[in-house]
Amino acid sequence: MELAYSSASGDVLRDELTSLSSQERVEGLLVLATPSVDITADSFETTLESLSVPVCGGLFPQVIVDGESRTSGLLAIGLPTSPTVTVVSELSEADDELDASLPAGSSEAAFVFVDAHADADGVGSLIDALFRTYSVGLSVVGGGAGRLDGGGEPCLFTGDGIIEDAAVMAAVDQPIGIGVRHGWNEVAGPFRVTDADHGTIRELDGESAFEVYQEAIETNTDATLHREDFFETATAYPFGISRLDGEPIVRDPFAVDGDAISCFGPVPEGEFVTVLAGDPDSLIDAAEQAAETALTEKPIADGAGTLCVFDCISRHLYLDETFDQEVAAIDAGGWPMVGALTIGEIANDGTGHLDYYNKTAVVAAVSDDA
Amino acid sequence: MPERQQRVQALYEIALTIGGKETLTETADAALAGYLRKLNCSVGGIFRATEDGYTPTATIPADPAGNALLSAGIDQLAELSSEAFPSHTEPTAGDHCYLFSLPDFGALVIGKQGGEIDTATRSALTPLNEKLAEACRNKLVERQLREQRNRFEAVFDAIPEPIADTVVEDGTEEIIASNAEFERTFGDTDETPGTAMVPEVTDSDTGESTQHSRPIDTDEGDHRITTETTCETVDGPGEFLFHGVPVAGDQADEYIHLYVDITDQKRREGELQRYERLVENLPIGVYRTTPGPDGEFKLVNQGLVDILEADSKAYFENRSVSEIYVDPDERAAFSDRLLAEGTVDNVELQFETAAGNQIWGEVSGIVTETDDGPVFELALQDITTRKERDQQLDVLNRVLRHNLRNALNVIDGNAAMLNAGLDDDELQSHVEGIERRVSNLEELSEKAVTVRSLFDQGRSTTTACDVQALLMRVAREFEDRHPGARVVVDAPEESLYVNADVRLKMALSELVNNAVVHNNRATPEVQLTTETVVRDGEPAVEIVITDNGPGIPKHERKAIESGEETPLQHGTGLGLWLVYWAMSLLGGDIHIDDANPGTRIALLLPQVGGDAQSQSDSGTGVAVNSGD
Repeated sequence: MELAYSSASGDVLRDELTSLSSQERVEGLLVLATPSVDITADSFETTLESLSVPVCGGLFPQVIVDGESRTSGLLAIGLPTSPTVTVVSELSEADDELDASLPAGSSEAAFVFVDAHADADGVGSLIDALFRTYSVGLSVVGGGAGRLDGGGEPCLFTGDGIIEDAAVMAAVDQPIGIGVRHGWNEVAGPFRVTDADHGTIRELDGESAFEVYQEAIETNTDATLHREDFFETATAYPFGISRLDGEPIVRDPFAVDGDAISCFGPVPEGEFVTVLAGDPDSLIDAAEQAAETALTEKPIADGAGTLCVFDCISRHLYLDETFDQEVAAIDAGGWPMVGALTIGEIANDGTGHLDYYNKTAVVAAVSDDA
Repeated sequence: MPERQQRVQALYEIALTIGGKETLTETADAALAGYLRKLNCSVGGIFRATEDGYTPTATIPADPAGNALLSAGIDQLAELSSEAFPSHTEPTAGDHCYLFSLPDFGALVIGKQGGEIDTATRSALTPLNEKLAEACRNKLVERQLREQRNRFEAVFDAIPEPIADTVVEDGTEEIIASNAEFERTFGDTDETPGTAMVPEVTDSDTGESTQHSRPIDTDEGDHRITTETTCETVDGPGEFLFHGVPVAGDQADEYIHLYVDITDQKRREGELQRYERLVENLPIGVYRTTPGPDGEFKLVNQGLVDILEADSKAYFENRSVSEIYVDPDERAAFSDRLLAEGTVDNVELQFETAAGNQIWGEVSGIVTETDDGPVFELALQDITTRKERDQQLDVLNRVLRHNLRNALNVIDGNAAMLNAGLDDDELQSHVEGIERRVSNLEELSEKAVTVRSLFDQGRSTTTACDVQALLMRVAREFEDRHPGARVVVDAPEESLYVNADVRLKMALSELVNNAVVHNNRATPEVQLTTETVVRDGEPAVEIVITDNGPGIPKHERKAIESGEETPLQHGTGLGLWLVYWAMSLLGGDIHIDDANPGTRIALLLPQVGGDAQSQSDSGTGVAVNSGD
């Protein structure tokens, strides 16, 4: 796939994107921007509208270009087949009618980006709708867009402009192989979620969620959890929602308010959660396994293509300097490697359930062949 | 986490997704998503067993035909007997599809691409599948009940009469549902209209007497009730035909109440009864007969019994109508005429009473069509007294016109001869007094004849009369006859029409004559004017005759204004009475007022328009206008 990375803005950026979109094998653009790009500027919107091919994308904490994470600039990925771009508006208000808004068709795969700061139930409804409609008939990869420190700002866009509280989907006819792994392991639990709403857990086993979580960490690890620096400690001890025959679904706690702990992604009341912990080696190994899985999928194995990685920004925060090793582990296949560090990841691996993950490495091997 | 614990946990979480949804589809959707999520499976479906095979209630993906694994599972399901559950297929290497029974509902199909569900987990799913089947069955029953209820409610609301569903609990009957018409009729209430319903319903169990005033059909066998009842509605009390029907089934204390509004019907019945009482008590005979020369009595009122001096209505049973006629041929002629014309008015016929007395009757009737053919609806008024008075008047008229006048002529002639033979002035003045009296008597005799002629023409007329032309005619006649008098017509040029015939001219001539002849002025003056006025809300023409004479004596005015004479209050002649009767017969009024000097007499008659005018051209109006 043709790629372009740019730190420019205004007319220069427009010229670069126009140049990419006019290339022979480019029928659409996937644009992954960092917070250094002012996507709300008129010039950016004008640039999007001026492009001659369908475009969609989002703003993410960082992007991955040539096997390196970058905190600035913009990555444009030229899609060799024309994508069908769908916008799901007012995601926080999503209901059962969502299924009807999804496109019918026989696309092989779809890139899906959601506003990470939209209501967790809305994101959950979208994931459910995608799975109900397509199941594994559509390979889905993507993640949550937005700034780490913000919410309520536009973070998604298409050729029609900038949008917020929404999801965008670009369905393509290229086969992709998907690997999904996180490498986190259970250290405490399970705890039954006895009071929760959307992504907020108020009670575990009938007691204060914060106190149960704090005790679980302090009993089973060397860490100490304080309300004041909750995020710094909690980022190393996410929740896991278990499932049979697969890694637990990770839910990343990011804030505490009284007894309630807020997570990225929905935590259904009644389910069981465990407290997870990891170490750099297990996480890096998991990312490597994800890449191997993606690259060994049947349609992909013998061809050429690009690795699109959607890795969680909180993994980067946790791994810190060793994150480069994770990127390097994924980058072992010799394929060009691009992607974004997201706030929550979306994927199915073509065999299992579609889910919204946290702290997970999603690797998509996108074939050059349509 | 140990594998077993993880399995138990996953199964528990699947169990959480079963039930709690509104509809069958939502229940199946949520449960299927739970199964697939927790078992990390990719496709699946919940299918309902029907006579025609398995039909999908929920599938993931939505279009199962697009997924080979699920399609393979569905194909196998179609061929699977109920004893063959659970079943498994592996259409392609490594892709597994599992088929589970959902007892008394259908089947669950779960597919996992690139993996298996272990045996322990599959076995552990059985109680969950039973729970899912039960939830689906319940939702299916709910849906069927809901559909039934919707149909019932549609019928409920389509019924144009008030209808309510009630339950009896602890001796109190309450409405649990009602249609819009019920609320519109009785208002928003949970109490049944008509307080006697509960004892009515419950007593039917014990066979005790009901509290309804007029039960029509109370079937104690199946607790159905039909009765008339009075209920308070939002518009006041109303009469209803109440049907109470128990709802079949276990709920023996539930009933459907239907209220048919018979308020209008009851009112009409009441009106009919009052009308029947009125007809029954009328002093005229009202009866219904079949047509024909003989005719058969179908109905008679007490008035006819009385007029024909019968003992009772039974007198008319098995008696032909012609038998009450003096001349049965008149009955045949009357029947023919009524059949031909459809209606007849005031036909005078002679009848013979049960006592053998002959009477005169005035009969009016119409022909009415019934299922059994035409019948005559007749009214008979006994006019025997009037006929006798007419005879008396005829005799008196003859006496006035012939005997009295001839006698007066003889007296007048003899008086003239006597006067001619007398030289004594005093004696001559006596003779002249006799001559004046004779002349007055002759005049009075003429007027009496004229009065008689007024009544011969009956009441009212449909003939239009041009009032201006008539006034001009009368004025010319009097100026010719009394050159010393001034008769002035002051009327607008535009013609005014009233319904009147020659009697109006007679009245006007009488009034003008009185104004001229009984005037004590050197030059009697009479002014005739017309004006349009409103009388009882209808347009009318007022004809005013004003003179400069001495005025009409008060006692004569009083007699006219009161419409009757008494020994102490009577007039001196017939003139004003002639005017009064003429106006009365023409449907007009007369008002007498003092003028300064003289008298103002106003005659009021209904005004008619151009339609009546055109009628007058071919009727007697021409005669009136010409003054004949």
